[in-house]
Amino acid sequence: MLHERSEEAFNYLYDNYSGALYGVINQIVPERETANDVLQEVFINIWKKIDSYDSSKGRLFTWMHNIARNAAIDKIRSKYYQDNLKNQPIPDNVHNNLSSYIVKPVMDDIGLRKILTRLKEEYRTLIELSYFQGFTHEEIAKAMNIPLGTVKTRIRTALIQLRNMIQ
Amino acid sequence: MIESCVLGVATDQDRAEFERMCVLHPEVAAAREVFELSLEKIAMQDSVDPPVEFKEKISTVLRPGQTEVNRISESFKRESKMRRLNWLKFAVAACLILLAGSLYWNISLYNKKNQLESSNQKLQNDINNYAAKMAEMENDAKALQNPNIKMAALQGTQHSPQSFATVYWDTTSTDVYLMINNLPRPASDKQYQLWALLDGKPIDLGVIELKQEKMIPMYRMKNAAHVQAFAITLEKKGGSDSPLGDMYVLGKL
Repeated sequence: MLHERSEEAFNYLYDNYSGALYGVINQIVPERETANDVLQEVFINIWKKIDSYDSSKGRLFTWMHNIARNAAIDKIRSKYYQDNLKNQPIPDNVHNNLSSYIVKPVMDDIGLRKILTRLKEEYRTLIELSYFQGFTHEEIAKAMNIPLGTVKTRIRTALIQLRNMIQ
Repeated sequence: MIESCVLGVATDQDRAEFERMCVLHPEVAAAREVFELSLEKIAMQDSVDPPVEFKEKISTVLRPGQTEVNRISESFKRESKMRRLNWLKFAVAACLILLAGSLYWNISLYNKKNQLESSNQKLQNDINNYAAKMAEMENDAKALQNPNIKMAALQGTQHSPQSFATVYWDTTSTDVYLMINNLPRPASDKQYQLWALLDGKPIDLGVIELKQEKMIPMYRMKNAAHVQAFAITLEKKGGSDSPLGDMYVLGKL
């Protein structure tokens, strides 16, 4: 049905998932205006790429959630956004206390962020950087001046802990 | 690995590897599904409703099929409107041409009508003329049928031997009719004059107003009570009290 891109398909998607996706977007993009733009882009993207969704690779929501997250991260990294000095990328030089580079979470009482608060700070930081900020393992390794392998392992551990908390 | 892939933080390489694993080991895929559901549950629990008007806004942006159809139907409408306009233009042009043609026809008919009217008038005039001439001739003929008419043949004189004229004199009414059988055309400043001769004395019977268009050159002259002879002389235009010019014809009763 979705592949037909019909009116009903849109209604189904929007009614069931727009709230969840909007929530995810808002955790990454705190400003409402910008978050609205992202939500629109996300739906456009979903609509365009619906043919590429492969249900054998995962659930529909996972796929949409990925699109939403990527769109939100693109937004906060965009020149426009950064010109507004709402966010700063991790510079190449070392800075031990990374928490100052993290966007002050507006909604840390809901969703994943709430769960994150229960993690050790070190793990929370990693997840914040990789999931909410979209930095690659390499970028994180470089910025924190720790080996790539260590970053990977730590993220994996953090995620397993996260999974245990939510499942 | 499951979490990284589902959350979208895994590298492309890792993800490809993971996907292969899922295919090969259904239990991995099952585990993935479990995590996905948990994630979905959290996301649903903490969903934030977008602004109410948003749905409509996004819906209109997203109707590519609709806009495609709209675009096509708009272009169809425009095309058919253009076709209608073209037809209209053609119709207007055709009407103008017909109008122009009709105007031209009108004008030429009008001219024709005028021509016909004037030639009709001319014919009418001619008819009137002829009628008048006929009437005149009839009168003359009638006059001549009168048994009281005496005829005098006026012969040409030495001055103009070929000349000849005839006078018809009604003795009862004393009307005098003159027939110019043959008289040379006078100069423009001269005119013929008829005289009645009585006891050797000439009596003016009037100047002859020669009319070339007369069917019969018969002229009514002044009345004469007593006449012995008639003569015609050529006087100056307007006539003379007594005969001064050359005599052209002379005849006794």
